Amino acid sequence: MSDVSSAYAELAASRALEQLPSFSPGPLTPLLVEGKGEPLQPALRGALGDGVDGVVGQLAYRRNKTFRFHVALAEVPTATAFAPRVFCIRRGRSTRDDEFYGFEARHSKLWTESTALNERYEVATSPYQDPMWLRQLFSPSFVDWLGTEPPADFSFELAYGALLGSIEDDDPGADGLAALCEATAHVATRVREECEE
Amino acid sequence: MQLNKVGISLIAFFGLAGAAFAVVPILLGVPGEVAGILASIGVIWVLVAAGLYWYARRQERKAARNDWIFRQGLRGTATVLAAGSSATVNEMPLMSLRLDLDVPGHGTREVKRREIMPVFAASRMEPGLVLPVYVNPQDPGEFVLVW
Repeated sequence: MSDVSSAYAELAASRALEQLPSFSPGPLTPLLVEGKGEPLQPALRGALGDGVDGVVGQLAYRRNKTFRFHVALAEVPTATAFAPRVFCIRRGRSTRDDEFYGFEARHSKLWTESTALNERYEVATSPYQDPMWLRQLFSPSFVDWLGTEPPADFSFELAYGALLGSIEDDDPGADGLAALCEATAHVATRVREECEE
Repeated sequence: MQLNKVGISLIAFFGLAGAAFAVVPILLGVPGEVAGILASIGVIWVLVAAGLYWYARRQERKAARNDWIFRQGLRGTATVLAAGSSATVNEMPLMSLRLDLDVPGHGTREVKRREIMPVFAASRMEPGLVLPVYVNPQDPGEFVLVW
């Protein structure tokens, strides 16, 4: 059994997660689109954190080279009405190396109000996002948490209610995967809270 | 659509290299026929850069217009009646949408709209989906679809 497979097996055992042969989430977020339909493998389903269910798995795809991420997928359907898209991506992350198009759809704009947040992440939203809601979502305590608590290579994408947390470490081990699950669950809970207010 | 870093680099490359091809051989006294060929290539490249720049500026103006409609427009809803794509632009589907537009004070009407969307957004465009729209108060035919 490979290191990655054994890490997933260890995580499944410690958190009582269901082991899946593979899982195909579909093109729900930009990172999953980059994956060109590749399934998550290995994949586990169950509780990512307190009250948040989802799937955690390895996403590997090939452009000019192989890109490997570990991702945790959860649903926050209520978010669509408030924020169709929020991408909080670690600065410097690369998800492809074969993009040569000079024009792209105007589907996002950078949100730069929080200096602390922008030191570590690049935050993008819909061009027509309500800025008030975003300010409430990225409360000082949430910004502080994002800057200090998640794994160093953590990013998240929220698109039409699908929340995808991800890390870039090739071999994060069971502890790294657990940290990914916890961080994704924390973000899901924070988004849900803000939608309910 | 909007220009990205790759686009800026392309415009800069075609513009500067084209200008160099057109001018430098003449300045260096390169023989006429060779200089003519290089100048032709240079002019074509400069025209390509100018075309890209023109398109980018046009898209910028369109984006500014949409931003204005978003800020000043009447908010309504658009229900997707049908969605399909038969072409892609830069790996993004060109979506053909049939929408039922409902704007307070303007009633409901059926409209068609074509939008280039990233795949993750296009995959969500299914009949029954309700999206916000912002309509120009002076021209109800002009609207921004928030997808």
